[in-house]
Formats: sequence, structure tokens, C-alpha cells
Amino acid sequence: MSARSNGGDQPGSMSSERRMRTGPSTSDPLVSVRNLRISFRLDRQTTFEAVKGISFDIPRNSTVALVGESGSGKSVTSLAMLGLLPPENSIIDPSSEVLYGGRNLLALPVGELRKLRGADISMIFQEPMTSLNPVFTVGWQLEEVLRLHMGMSGRKARKRAMDLLREVGIPEPERRIDSFPSQLSGGQQQRVMIAMAIACEPKLLIADEPTTALDVTIQKQILELIGDLQKKHQMSVLFITHDLAVVGEIADYVVVMRNGEIREQGPAKAVFESPRDTYTKALLMCRPQLDRRPARLPVIDDFINGPGPRNTEERKRGVKPNDAIVLDVRNLGKSFYSREGVFGKREFKAVKDVSFQLPKGKTLGLVGESGSGKTTVGLTLMRLHEATTGEAIFEGRDLLSMSPSEFMQYKRRIQIIFQNPYASLNPRFTVGQIIVEPMQIHGIGSSAQERTDMAFELLNKVGLAEVSFYKYPHEFSGGQRQRIAIARCLTMKPDILICDESVSALDVSVQAQVLNLLQDLQDEFGLSYIFISHDLAVVKYISDQVMVMNDGEIVEIANSDEIYRHPKMPYTQRLLASIPRGWHGQRARASD
Amino acid sequence: MAAYIVRRLWQMLPTMLGVILLVFFLFNWVGGDPAYVLAGKISNQEQIDNIRRQLGVDQPYWVQLGIFIKQVITADFGASWSTNERVSNILMTRLGPSLTVVVPLVLLATLISIGLALAVAYVRGSFTDRAVMIVCTVGLSISILVYIIVFQYVFAYKLGWFPVQGWGDSFWENLFVYASLPILIGLAVSIAPDLRLYRTFVLDEINQDYVRTARAKGVSENQIMWIHVLRNASIPIITNLMAGIPGLLLGSFLIERFFSIPGIGREVILAVERSDFPVIKAITVYVAFATIITNLLADLTYKAVDPRVQLK
Amino acid sequence: MATNIATLRDGSGALVRDKRHAVSPGLWVLAWRRLTSDMVGMVGLAIVAAFIVMMILSGVGLLAKDWNREVGVNYAPPSFVDSEAATTATQQVHPGAETAPAGSEYQSTIVDPIGDVIERLKSGKGESQPAAGQPATSDEKSVDPLADVMADIRAGKGVGAAVKAEERKATLPFGGDKWGRDVLKKTIKGSETSIFVGLASAALATFLGTLFGALAGYYGKWIDDFFNWFYSVFSSIPYLLLILAVAAVLQQKGMLTIILILGLTGWTGVFRLIRAEYLKHKSREYVQAADAIGASNGRRMFIHIFPNVSHVVLVQLSILVVAFIKSEVILSFLGFGVPVDVVSWGSMLNEAQNELILGKWWQLVAATVAMATLVTAFSLFTDALRDALDPKLKGRLGA
Repeated sequence: MSARSNGGDQPGSMSSERRMRTGPSTSDPLVSVRNLRISFRLDRQTTFEAVKGISFDIPRNSTVALVGESGSGKSVTSLAMLGLLPPENSIIDPSSEVLYGGRNLLALPVGELRKLRGADISMIFQEPMTSLNPVFTVGWQLEEVLRLHMGMSGRKARKRAMDLLREVGIPEPERRIDSFPSQLSGGQQQRVMIAMAIACEPKLLIADEPTTALDVTIQKQILELIGDLQKKHQMSVLFITHDLAVVGEIADYVVVMRNGEIREQGPAKAVFESPRDTYTKALLMCRPQLDRRPARLPVIDDFINGPGPRNTEERKRGVKPNDAIVLDVRNLGKSFYSREGVFGKREFKAVKDVSFQLPKGKTLGLVGESGSGKTTVGLTLMRLHEATTGEAIFEGRDLLSMSPSEFMQYKRRIQIIFQNPYASLNPRFTVGQIIVEPMQIHGIGSSAQERTDMAFELLNKVGLAEVSFYKYPHEFSGGQRQRIAIARCLTMKPDILICDESVSALDVSVQAQVLNLLQDLQDEFGLSYIFISHDLAVVKYISDQVMVMNDGEIVEIANSDEIYRHPKMPYTQRLLASIPRGWHGQRARASD
Repeated sequence: MAAYIVRRLWQMLPTMLGVILLVFFLFNWVGGDPAYVLAGKISNQEQIDNIRRQLGVDQPYWVQLGIFIKQVITADFGASWSTNERVSNILMTRLGPSLTVVVPLVLLATLISIGLALAVAYVRGSFTDRAVMIVCTVGLSISILVYIIVFQYVFAYKLGWFPVQGWGDSFWENLFVYASLPILIGLAVSIAPDLRLYRTFVLDEINQDYVRTARAKGVSENQIMWIHVLRNASIPIITNLMAGIPGLLLGSFLIERFFSIPGIGREVILAVERSDFPVIKAITVYVAFATIITNLLADLTYKAVDPRVQLK
Repeated sequence: MATNIATLRDGSGALVRDKRHAVSPGLWVLAWRRLTSDMVGMVGLAIVAAFIVMMILSGVGLLAKDWNREVGVNYAPPSFVDSEAATTATQQVHPGAETAPAGSEYQSTIVDPIGDVIERLKSGKGESQPAAGQPATSDEKSVDPLADVMADIRAGKGVGAAVKAEERKATLPFGGDKWGRDVLKKTIKGSETSIFVGLASAALATFLGTLFGALAGYYGKWIDDFFNWFYSVFSSIPYLLLILAVAAVLQQKGMLTIILILGLTGWTGVFRLIRAEYLKHKSREYVQAADAIGASNGRRMFIHIFPNVSHVVLVQLSILVVAFIKSEVILSFLGFGVPVDVVSWGSMLNEAQNELILGKWWQLVAATVAMATLVTAFSLFTDALRDALDPKLKGRLGA
């Protein structure tokens, strides 16, 4: 076992240490999963097999990352280990085993299992707000686990609780210990969850997507915290995520799952540098990288049906000073009002004095964390919110000050794709009705037949079968629904398309497909995009120019390559430094 | 907080005015001239004219409205048209008996229903759960009238365990002798709907993420139910209880009528039968006001009980 | 093609490929399938349908048209009770058998000193007591000794032909009431009243509540403020109190009156729910998308949002039907419901109250069983309906 030196070459960099360890600390694993097979009963006749007989080990004192997209079965696996699956409709095959300390956890009586939960093996979840009990104080919930497993009570328990809060980095623990979860921020809530989980010095910490719901800067802090705690307490961590970049930062071992099966597993170095499985390879390549910009993102099909993407030429992006401007936004502001005092109002400025120009045929990326106001900018330009101040000049006219009936003519020229593919299509309409409706409203097409034909054409263009016309949204996956939303927008032949976190809710492979589609449409129709996202890598890939927002204001605007290489403002620098680089990123940086 | 209360009090005024208008509309406009009603009860024409003049029946509507508002503010609605007792006196004396029946009833019903709801939620999905729910559904489908008739017949008339009707003078005698059977009937009728409702509240909580966290910490199912879930489910339960408080003032008027308990509910029925407008108007207006004020209290209680709520 | 291929197994364990039809079922069809697979709900629906058929038949006169006729002896026991009781029933002449059917609050049995004299006179003449469908003019408690004579005269012109005293049956299928009217027929006719009132007033209340709720939830601002004010005024008066107050004021009785009373006061619950639904949906992305493509307010409210809210409306309608049936029974019992010449389960219960003391239980049981069956069936059906329409059931599998 290699010696532990404190820190690596860079502050907060853990990966350099990771690479020094090449094998397990001791030869017998802490937990052994053998032939885990889990099914769910959907109704009286059908069962659905979510996990199809997987086996892997969790070595002592190391971090194992369980990676997969939605539907891969990774969360189900982790819940099964602690017996937390709903007993009414989950069926675990009797030959499955989860071995810990010589015992099969799946076969333990509940009383025994309870002694292990929270003490030997503990778990933290994705949504800290709902995972904490809202009606009990933070201190009470911490002390509960101490009462249960360590028999502590009274002042002793309270003191230990405060120590734990301090250890996880909560400021002013004496005050916070009596707070309720709703009074803490998302990052602080997750820290409290972690404190509860490590309170009894567990041997294994299972972390189920703990940072997915957090902003990227907070994510970095939480990842560091977990890493530090892992080292300090010498425990193992099973880290479940869909984000390969995160995995690259923290994992010693990687297990890749797809559709209930393990596609690849092994030490991180092996998986990242020489992946053997096609799906793993595809996953590694599909995600937009910060240092490259291929003309088309590779998609899974490229790998499964062939040797890989052949076209590796890169696309140049940038805005030149004499590019034509299609939209000129000046001093945009939006305030929300809430009641205060007896008769007063309180103003919350979501957007403060934002000005920018959108070049024709190009993409402007709008980046920020939650609460930065980026989504509000998009909605206000669409007049879905009424702007408080400012103008948006399009073809010589101010879109924001027109009357609603005047604006009707311009509505078709600027369209929006929303984030949540499951909420943006009316579940009671067929796909055909969804696509044809804008045509009916704006009088496009001279007959029903002509509109139907146009709809078929658009479905083809976005890569869906024509028969989709007759189906309902619930029969389609997230990526397909976004395509339908895109087709709906295209019926009106807009000039400007606002993509409001349009790929954020999609799996990595699907994300690549939709990004490619958007790029193809821009190339063909000369559309101008405003691409709003919190995902910095995606924004860099698709944008010509990037605008960083924080707290309602623009922090910096520059061409995308420029801003990533030489960020000028401190906030931008901090934002960029928080991006998980993944395995390759770390290596690239380490060898600079 | 103080600002919130002040703002709410200010907002209550239009509602109270609306209630006054509604009652006025019903009784002065639709109801119209009460002469025909009074004719059957008071033979003295001069007396009738007197009353009509007091009510301002021959005056324009806005004058009548003014008279009514004055009555509301001064809490003086004159005298009952049938018994000539002062309306305010009627209200004061009838409140006690109503509460004597209804308050113990609500306390017992809530405690029993919560206990049963937790027990049933514990075994959710099982045969017991479904059987209990079906029994509740059937129980709910039998009219309260039937319960009253049958219980009164079996337990009071036939078996003689309870008095058939009546009311006494001392509080304790009332509570234990006269109110017992009414409370029993009230329980039989209230537990079924309460149980269904509370079961839903409890089940909503059981499916929450924090329950999964508690299990992951090693908390036992019992503790989860009785400590974690109950504390959260108590929020909608308390809110529901607070919303039902104004109904308490009315008493269960069917029970009061059958058992001749001199409560407000029975007063209402008698007043409606006799078309005794002043009594009905007074009770309606005051119960409405009590409801409005109780709503504010309910919201404040909600804030006290649920740390997530911020009153604005 | 979906990226996730479900690996479904059917009951025998064989793999079943997810079938994709060319034309796929909409959400209503899916809900219908779920509903029909719920046994309890289907049984409830069948019972409710049976009652409705009975109501229609009774309404057009094919069934229980002659419920008014006194075909049995007073208090005739049910046929399934042994005949010994039947014979004793025929001998009794009850002192309290007034000719004037009392108003619903008739509680005391006032002895008519010459009642039996008059009866003997009439049976001697071969005429019987008049059909109970012609009430005495006043509903006072005192007895007019000439009332039955007057009623006789009227009966001669009336519809309800009297049955001769000797031809009266000793027992009836489910017994007879105080005047010998067939309880079974009364129950059937009573169901017509209760169900019709329940359905009509529920429809009215649901319509009002939905309309107000949609307008308030969708437009917000002062429209919302106005409807909220309206709502808080109505809901601050306890429901039954409001009904009684309105009943006190409206002197004329009748089915239409009750339907209006129940409908115009019972919309508050629906309003609150539908308003909340519209508020929720209005900020959903598919509505914003409809705004973005240029749909008008009306289009958004009724073509986009309403189909997504209609399942709530449907369930509320069912709940209200049950509640209004129960309310109608109580109102009729108290005498503020249907007029005297219309039978309702409520009026039957009113009569049953006194009969019970005399040991005659069949009218109570008939009305109670009929009502309990209908309401239970409807409630079970409503529960099944709510489960079937719940949109959360469709969609994602555990990941």
C-alpha cells in the first residue's frame, strides 16, 4: 500500500493520489455482490427485470463508482443492498447474494439488518431536501442515529452531533444544530445527510447521486468532502452517478451498467484508458469534452454498429465583429414582487440590466448556476413573463413593447424548447395534433392534408418515424419528446430558437443525438440559437459566444474558446475551475 | 408576523360584509315581507305592524340593510318571532349544551381515528386494510338518521341503558347521562370518514423520501410510524380539525333534535320550521364570522406546526 | 426506437416483446381498461346502473306507478315473515291511523276519539280510506274529523282508486306502511327521487364549481380575488345551515327547488379543487408552449388544460352525487325536501321512526338497505374511478 502524502500537486486534486494506488488494499473485499437479480411486478401478469444477475466487489478503503444512464438499474442495486426496495412489488431472486462480514445481507432477518443500517453501512440520497424529515431539527435527526446505534443521549449526543456538523463543514454548528432542514441550503442539507451517515463510523458509505441536484460549485465541495472523509475514516464509498467526469475525479474502481447488466468493470485507469466494451467506449466519447470540438458528437450507434466515429474534424466557432445581428437586447430587467409588511411589496430582481446581441446563424450560450436568472431571460424574451424594463430589437422593432395582437405575428419567429421533455407536450394530444396545432393557429398550409404532409416531413427531419403522428407522448422517451418539441417549433420556421436547458434532463447518449440534430438544423436553416444551460461542457461545445450570468447580471461575454481558456472575471474562473475534468482532464492537466 | 395578522384581519372584512349581504339577500329580498309568516303566529295586527316597522319592511332596501348591519354590530336581533325570547339570549343559552356533546365527541373521534389510521396504514395493502376500508365505506353509506333511529330504539328504548331524550341541569349529569348516547352515535358516524381521511394522510407520508432515510439509518418500523410519520401527518390532521371547528358551534343538529337537547342546532331546525327569521339570521351570521376567524387561527396553527411554512 | 428496451415477461415467464401498435390507445382508453379490470369497481358500477334503470322505469311509469295505493292492510308485515304475524296484523285498528298523512315532523300519535267510528262507517259503505295522495289542506297537528269525509269526496274524482277493505292483502312483499301502501314500491319510487335529485344537483354544482374554478385559477388577479371572495362567503356558512336557511326562505317545495338549493350551495369544494388544478397547470410547460406557439386564452383553458383536469371533475361529480343523495334524504326527513305527495327515502325514514316503536321495522330496513346499497356501490365505483384515472400510474418504470 502506497504511503499517503497529504494533498496532491494541486489543492483539492484527489486524482493524482488515486493513480498511485494500483490494487486493492487488502485482498478480501468488504462487500461482495453475487448474481444479483431483481424484478418488479408491474401488474398481475407482467414483471420487469431491472437487474439481471450482476456481480461485483467493493474492496476495503476505496471508492467504487457505479455508472449508468437512467434505467440502468444502478439505484435499484444500491437500494437492494440495504433492503430498502419496496417489498410489495420487488422480487429478489433467492440465489442473489450480498456478502458482508461473511453474511448474506439479503437473507438476514430484519432485526439484524437494522443493526447494520446506519452503523456499518449507511446511505445518502439524491434529493437532500426531501430526504431529511422536515419537522425535526437537524440536531434531533443526527442524535437519532447516535441514540440508536451508540446508545448516546443527552449532552453527550448533542456534543457529538455538533462535532459532526463541524467535520462536514457546516458553519456555526451551535446555531445550526437547532435549525430545521428547510432553513438550510441544498449544499448544507447534503452535508447534514453526510454527517448522519458517518456518525457511527460506517465501513461502507453508499452515495446515490448525491451531487446531481446541486450546482457545480457546490458539487465540487461535496465531492471533496466525501473524498476527505473516505480517507480519514478509512471507509469504502460506493458512488452512484451518471456523470463520467465526476467518476474520473474520484473513483478507484468503475462498474459500468446498462439495462440491468454490467458492461465493464475494473480499476479506473483500465476503464478510462483502455475500455473494452463498446458501450463504455461510446459513453466516454459521447460527452462533449472541454478540449475538443468534433463537428458531430459521436453517438452510441456509431460504436455499436461500427468501429467508431470516422469524422474527427473539428468545428471552429466564434463571433466576428461584422456578423449580422438578428436580435439586439438592451437593458433587459425583470423583477418579481411579493408581499411584505401590511401593505408593502418586496421586489426581487431576477434579471438586472442585461444587454447582448445575438448574431445571425450562430449560437449564444447563456451559462449560470441556479438562481442566476438565465431561464428568466429566455422566458422574458418570449414574453411568457412580462419584462419590467428593457427592449429586444428584432427587424427594427421592439418585441417587448408591442401590443399582444401585434406580437402575434412575431411569435412564430422566436420559439422555445423547454427543459422538461415530460412536461412540455400535452399528454392528451397525439403527436400529430401537437405538431399541427401551430400550423392551424398561424394559418400555415392551405388544407388539413397539406398540414399533415408537412408534419410527416418534419417528423422525418427530426429523426422520428412517420407513424409517431398517431401516438401519444407517453409512448416516447425523453430524447424523442424533445425531438417532437423541436418539430413543433420548426412548423413555424422561426428565426430564433431559445433552448432552455433543453438537453439537461437527457442521458448522455441521447443528449449527443439531440445536440447533433440542433446543429444540423442550424446548418440547414440558418437558425440562431440562445442556448441556456448550467452544463459548461455542453455550452462550450455548441456555442459560438458564451455569456456568464450570476445573480441576475452578466458577468462576462466572450467567444467560447476564449472564455474557457482565459476567463477574466473571478466568478467565471471559479465556475470553470469547478467543472469535473474526469480522468483525461486530470491527466492532461497533470502532464502540463 | 404581526403584519401578517393585521393584513389578514383587514382581508376578513370584505368576506364578513359578503356574508351579511348574502343573508340580507336571502331573508330580506327573497324572503320578503314576513307579514304572511307572522300572521300565523301573532294574532295581534298592531304587533305585526310594529315588527314590520322595526324591520323597515316598507323602506328602501339600503335602509333595511343599514338596520341589519346595525343589528349585527350591536348583536341585537330583537326577539324571536315564535317565542318572543330575545335572540341574543337564545344564542347564549344554547351554546353550552351543543358544546357539551360536540367537544368530547370530536376529541374522542380524533384520537380513535388517528390510532386506527396508523394501525391500518401499518398493514396497508393487506386483507385487514381492505376489509376495514370496505366496512368504512358501507358505514358511511348508511344515513345518520338510521343510526340515530336504531341506536335510540335499541339502547334507550329497548335496553334502557340511556335516557331516550332530555337534558338536565348540572353539567356533569348532562355530560355523563344525557350526552352519552348522542356522543356514541356521533362516534359511530364520524369515525368512518375520519379514518378514511387520516389513512390517506398517513399513507402520503409513508411514501416520502425521509421515511427511506430513516430506514437506512436503522430506525424500526414502529418508530417510523409513531414518531416520524405521525408527526408529519399531524399537520394535515390538525389543519383538518381546525377547519371543522366552526361546525362544532352548530352542534349536530339532527342529534340534538332527536334527543331534545337544547342546543344551537336544534334551535336552527325549530327556527326553520317556524320561519323564525331573526334566529336564523343571527345564527348564520355569527357562525360565519366564527368560521372566518377560525380560518385565520388555522393558518397560524399551521405555521406553528409546520417549519416549512412561511407566512407572507 | 426507445433507448430503453423493456424486458417484459408474462405470467408463464416467457419473454414478451413490447408491442407497438400503429394506432395507440389514448389515455382514456388506458383508464377504461384499468377501470374494467377492477372487480370491486365494476360491481359497484353494475349496481348503480341497475338503480338508474330502475329510476328510469319508475320515472316513466312502468314501475311502481301505483305506490300510492293502499293495497295492504295497515302495517302489513313482509311476506317472508311467518303468516301468524300476518293474521294478527289484519285485526288491529290503530287509533293513530289518521287519514291526513302528517307533515314530516309529525311525532305524536293523537288519539282520534271518533276515528274508528268513521272507519266502520266507511267500511260499511264499502269505500275505504282515500288514497293518501290527497292530503288535507293544513299540515297542523290537530285532526279534522271531517277531513276524511272531504277526502272521500275528492277521492271519487281522484286517480288513486281505492281498494276495497276486504280485498286488502294480509302481507306485502316487503310489508306495508301505516296506510297499507306497498313498501317495496315506495322504495323503488323513492329511489327515483333520491337518484334524480342527486344526479341533477351534482351536475349543477360541478358545472358551477368547474367554471368558476377555471376562470379563477387561469386568469388570476382580480378575477381570482372576486371568486375567492365569493367562495369564502359561501364556505364560511356551514353547508347544512345554508341549505336550511334557503329552505326556510323559499316557501314552495319541489324537486326543482331542492336541486337548485343543493346545486347553488354545493359548488365550493369543486371550485377549490379545480382552481388549484388550473393554477398548477397554468405554469406547466405544455401550457407555456401553447402560449409560445400562439394559442389564445380560451384555447389554452378549454382545449389544452381541461382535458388534463377532466378526471378530477369526474371524480368530484361522483363524490357530490353521493353527498347530495344523503343530503336529500336528510332534507326530506326534516320536511324541507320533496313535497308530501312525492315519496323519498327520507320521508320513509320519517315514518319509520314511529313505526319502530310499534315494532314495525320493515320500512326502516327497506329504505336503509336500498340507500346503503346504492351509496356503497357508488362510493366503491368512485374509488375505482379515481384509481383508474390517476395519471401517475402511467409512465416510468423503476430505474
